[in-house]
Amino acid sequence: MSSASHVAAQKLDILVDTFISKLKRRQITGSYKIATETCQFLMRVISTSRWSTPQEFIQLIRKVGQRIQEAQPREFVTGNVVRRVLAIIRDEVNGTGDSLNNANVNNGAPSAPVDTSMFQLLSTVNTSSSTNLAIKENTRGQNDLRSVVIQGIRELSDEISSVNENIEAMTVDLIHENEVLLTPTPGSGTVLNFLLKASLKRKFTVLVTESYPNDIEECHLFAKKLAEANIETVIIPDSTVFAVMSRVGKVLIGARSVFANGGCVSNAGVAAVCECAKEHRTPVFAVAGLYKFSPTYPFDKDSLIEVGNSGKVMPFEDSDLVGKCEVTNPVFDYVIPEHIDIYITNMYVYFFLFINLFFQFIST
Amino acid sequence: MTDKKDPKATSQASVVPAATASTSAAANASKTGPPPQKTLTNKELKELKKKEKAAKRAAAKAAHGGANPDQQHDQHGKSNNNNNKSQKPKTASQLKKQMNSAKIKDTDVKIPAMFSHLETREQRIAASPTVASIVHPSILALTLKISTYKVVGSSTRCQSMLEAFKDVITSYKTPEGTSLQRHLTSHLSHQIEYLKTGRPLSVSMGNAIRWLKQKISQIPIEMSDEDAKVQLKEDIDLFIQEKILYSGKVITQFASGHIQNNSKILTYGHSEVLKKLFKYCAIEENKSFDIYIVDSKPLFEGKKLAKELSSVKNIKCHYNLITSLSSVLERSSIDFCFLGANSMLSNGRLYSRVGTALVAMSSKNKSIPVLVCCESIKFSDKVQLDSVTLNELGDADDMINTKPFNKTGFNLQQYLNNLEAKKVEEQNGAGKKGQQQQQQSKKEKDDKLLQSSQKNEETLSNWKDYPSLNILNVLYDLTPPEYIQKIITEVGALPPSSVPVILREYKSIT
Repeated sequence: MSSASHVAAQKLDILVDTFISKLKRRQITGSYKIATETCQFLMRVISTSRWSTPQEFIQLIRKVGQRIQEAQPREFVTGNVVRRVLAIIRDEVNGTGDSLNNANVNNGAPSAPVDTSMFQLLSTVNTSSSTNLAIKENTRGQNDLRSVVIQGIRELSDEISSVNENIEAMTVDLIHENEVLLTPTPGSGTVLNFLLKASLKRKFTVLVTESYPNDIEECHLFAKKLAEANIETVIIPDSTVFAVMSRVGKVLIGARSVFANGGCVSNAGVAAVCECAKEHRTPVFAVAGLYKFSPTYPFDKDSLIEVGNSGKVMPFEDSDLVGKCEVTNPVFDYVIPEHIDIYITNMYVYFFLFINLFFQFIST
Repeated sequence: MTDKKDPKATSQASVVPAATASTSAAANASKTGPPPQKTLTNKELKELKKKEKAAKRAAAKAAHGGANPDQQHDQHGKSNNNNNKSQKPKTASQLKKQMNSAKIKDTDVKIPAMFSHLETREQRIAASPTVASIVHPSILALTLKISTYKVVGSSTRCQSMLEAFKDVITSYKTPEGTSLQRHLTSHLSHQIEYLKTGRPLSVSMGNAIRWLKQKISQIPIEMSDEDAKVQLKEDIDLFIQEKILYSGKVITQFASGHIQNNSKILTYGHSEVLKKLFKYCAIEENKSFDIYIVDSKPLFEGKKLAKELSSVKNIKCHYNLITSLSSVLERSSIDFCFLGANSMLSNGRLYSRVGTALVAMSSKNKSIPVLVCCESIKFSDKVQLDSVTLNELGDADDMINTKPFNKTGFNLQQYLNNLEAKKVEEQNGAGKKGQQQQQQSKKEKDDKLLQSSQKNEETLSNWKDYPSLNILNVLYDLTPPEYIQKIITEVGALPPSSVPVILREYKSIT
């Protein structure tokens, strides 16, 4: 028994280490990819892991989750996915294996499950020992738990991949005819989908900022795709944002991660654009899938901002400057919650003050 | 005209403004190098008009004295057309009429709808034709430098323009039957018209020109031409000294009190006055401080400032692009934000390089005082409310290049395009019709575009082919007075609302 568990533990270690090295070497980048890969990874972990009590199971997943979060510390999606999976497991364990609870929690539906799970949180204190004993003896119960959890993760994975479709559904209500939109995040696939879907029903103009130097290639591709869909597109340099803001109706940004206070991390330059929009009283919409919402609080803003290649800001061709000037190239920007009017997600449309409602169902 | 109706034949369309840009040929595109195989009705009409005007001029030439054909301006080597036209100074209104008829609405120029009321470079160039022959070479050189952004910046352009005017005055000869006081002004006007085709005049240049014209008209009648010219040149020197160089020094005195040891200063782009200020504080007053330089596409003027200041011992330079502005402001506790100006408008707004408003707004929101250093020559009595109604459009293609900025002059570009077109025609032989040539060159162009679009580097090298895609490149923006704490000029430091007061003062001095 112990040697089998040894082998299993080794297999698990190998699995975890491979995934962590992939993350550390940045072989997987981008929130969407990381989220889907993490789901796959967790499914494999759950199938190969060995544990005797559900508490042990939860601890195992937590440890793995902490390790993969540290692999790419500025990518909060890994942590979010792990938290969702933990929520699935906990509901499964606490909620006497009711599929109802699982399904509801996965889809983030309103109040009823919240009440029952909180209620059960209080009630399991008494019954945990009995349930522990029950499961200890029943390895088939273990397998049941495993398969249910894997099913839950599959649903989560489906939800993540259908983020774009669900967000698209909300476009038509938000954009009116002949509107001028500004988007400072051309690298966001969600925003692109949003605009392409909206163009089927509405005619509007999109101003795209260049996000030089980090996202300029993506900006050009983005603009090309919009132009091919016959949307009036104008590429503007980042400096021109203030000049045109008085003519802009809405600002649309794609968020990388969203935090518990409603602030978000996005591309460099977006914070200034949102500030500018605030000055002109222009509404700012942020689109993000639910998997990007993290219950962490951004205490230390500096640690959120990743710094990139200074050579893009000042190429080595300016050799006389390179050694003498301090050059930094922050890749991200933190946007304070007051500057964002609304978060559009695949489930709901959130206002930042009420974001904690969402976190109630997810974090435990 | 086939080239107008066929938007794909951009090379053909660009031949048209090239011809108009080439020296004093009137707007007759068919006269460029290759023999006119395409005789089109509009052009025939224009040819007729030209012939009539030539006849008129030949008749009038006898009455008028000779003009000042300093040099046959030979930009492309295609100036054989010039010899047909007489080189006579025309009145301003005649010139204007000719220029208006010469302007060609280039339908291939793509501007975003919001800014379509602004004049593009192509339109400016199209206005240049007939004047080119009587333009002084210093002015020609200066225009080229200005249009390729080699000479950039309000004070620099003003100073260079005045230096060029000194050359013009030196080589000026008053024609018979008129006096220097009356004629020199119109002569200068022709030069200025040509300068305008490079880039629109800035407020400082406009003020200087007004002053100069006034000075010319004030020259006493008895004074001989030589003395008058010497006097004018001295006056110009004095003006440059007073209004630009010494003003800079006085502003530096006023502003240097703000920069203490170990302070952190934020600045945007490049400004002559600010450069002097920083150098003065570091070298003469021996203060050591940090400078955060914020820069943007496409001109990257901040690099110039960084180059100058990084070699100064006491200054520590930090260089950032405008996208990282909020990170810079967040991380480092900046003490002051110094901005330069193109002009100050009468309603207290600052008209400066695009991006200044963003810097000023972000600084204000972090409670960093924003100070503007601006000589009084840059003050204007214009009023403007936003950056869209009145602005300057730059070349859209400057934005596409992700590589370092290296601009060829417009005329040179046209010449190169013409060479290409000629090569294509020679390859096809003399007998082919124009249509087929067009198609051929078009096919080659399409092939080239296909190849380049397959390359990852310049995804947008064929951006003009997408009808819904536009690129915006404006050069200036307007900063509202709420963001500005103080304007420092050589007559003192004042709040932005006091600009009209200075204008009154300034007018009374001159």
